Amino acid sequence: MITIEGLCKDYGPRSAIRDLSFEVRQGEVLGFLGPNGAGKTTTMKIITSFMPPTSGRVSVMGFDTVKDGLKARRCIGYLPENNPLYNDLKVESFLAFAAGAKGVKTGHRRARVTQVMQACGLMEVGHRLIGRLSKGFRQRVGLAQALINDPPVLVLDEPTIGLDPKQIYEIRHLIKDVSKERTIILSSHILPEVSQLCDRVAIINKGAIVAIDRPENLTTGLREHTSITARVGGNVAEAARIIGAIDGVINVTQAEDGALMIDASRDSDLRPAIVRQLVAAGIDLYEITRLDLSLEEIFMRLITEEEANA
Amino acid sequence: MRSLYLKELKLYFTAPIFYAVACIFLVIAGIFFSNAMLRESMFAAQIAQYQVNTPVGLTEVVIQPVFDGISILILFLVPLFSMRLLAEEKASGTIELLFTYPLTDAAIVAAKYLAGLTVLAILIAFTGIYMGILAFMSPVDWGVVLSAYLGLVLLTGSFLAIGLFASSLTRNQIIAAAVSFGLILIFWIMGGLAEYLATGVFSKILSELALLGHLSSFLKGMLVLKDAAYYFLFSLFFLALTLSVLESRRWRG
Repeated sequence: MITIEGLCKDYGPRSAIRDLSFEVRQGEVLGFLGPNGAGKTTTMKIITSFMPPTSGRVSVMGFDTVKDGLKARRCIGYLPENNPLYNDLKVESFLAFAAGAKGVKTGHRRARVTQVMQACGLMEVGHRLIGRLSKGFRQRVGLAQALINDPPVLVLDEPTIGLDPKQIYEIRHLIKDVSKERTIILSSHILPEVSQLCDRVAIINKGAIVAIDRPENLTTGLREHTSITARVGGNVAEAARIIGAIDGVINVTQAEDGALMIDASRDSDLRPAIVRQLVAAGIDLYEITRLDLSLEEIFMRLITEEEANA
Repeated sequence: MRSLYLKELKLYFTAPIFYAVACIFLVIAGIFFSNAMLRESMFAAQIAQYQVNTPVGLTEVVIQPVFDGISILILFLVPLFSMRLLAEEKASGTIELLFTYPLTDAAIVAAKYLAGLTVLAILIAFTGIYMGILAFMSPVDWGVVLSAYLGLVLLTGSFLAIGLFASSLTRNQIIAAAVSFGLILIFWIMGGLAEYLATGVFSKILSELALLGHLSSFLKGMLVLKDAAYYFLFSLFFLALTLSVLESRRWRG
């Protein structure tokens, strides 16, 4: 687990992050979401002790990343932004190097390299030069080096950037596989990815956390009303009247395509009541859905709110 | 540290630059060698002709000039080997892997330095072929040859320490090579400068600081502690500078 307290980082007069505090809990996958330049990469570089913070502290598995840097680094597998790799090495010899450098005992190295190559689907390219690999394979090699010493913590900076949809699907699958029993922080600006992979999401903008919660809480938490759409057959006006009479319904309107848009209070889910009433009145119901805010909307809303306040 | 050392060696031997430079090095060293051999045979012919009874030593006529020549060659060659050591990692971003692996900065410097030295030592060892040819034709004083090789490796170590330091300053390999070449040259011409000044403490300091002067005792087959210590401390000084450049990222922020 990772604890971040009052973290600040200045690049000259420009401050990249200011007073950042949050925690990644044992065994969870935290998505780190924000527009480009929000400070995601800076935060990750400080967590991995690639650079020191201007002030504040980070601890990884209880080790301070500045004072106990070596011990902290032993607990971390890190996939840096843009995934830098030694292009002139073969996959297998690079992983053997990573295993040695990350303290895998000499006798276990071979077995561990094979194990990780199997897990990451690299068996067929073990003898190829990294520089000749496709982006998808490169990304797997990056992930493989992060996993090589079986670290309890993974820090993944934009793990799916620049990949095609199939590769993205595969890498996500891989991350899901390795997320068991591991604490992971991963940054992204692809929102569906975060809602699929992560237990919690932290949204960062201009170097500060603007929201941190479970994806489903974020998606429902920001609306004043719940929105429900219903498609009915036959007498639409009659259906609208019946729904409007239900306790808790605030407003019913008909959209252009004929669906009914229902604004309801957030206190309870009115869908069962609506279904019962419509069926009792003999109206055909084809579809009923509650609309949640997508992460995109939340993201935009939080970030524009932030701008309006500033 | 061992893994990093082995990785560096692997990278050296997979890069074409090693083979290109090694090839040129051995050709030029071969020219030096055959030149010296021709001179030796000329002397020998003169001796035979005039019945002069002065023995013409292989050490003075062949071994010393050849090693002198090789030491100059190495001066030109080391920057080409050392430039990539840290600059390449910075340019490709892989330095981020190194710095976030559980390796100390000292281990990184040591592994890089030793790998470079190993490669250069292997290159120098190839010139042993010439010594073998020499031994085939006339008895060679192996003590002198071994001490000359020791001196050469120590000198190379000093050049390499400068090169590694230059490579830690920049992400551009060309700049790294230029800076190390410049620094090596400064320590080389110091000897000449000292001769020009001729007298005074300053001249003495300059001539003691100069890199090549300390090689002569090794080429004569003498192991002088002072000269060995000079190369050792010289390398250590530049390695310490390199280490502090790497460490500066922790406080510079």
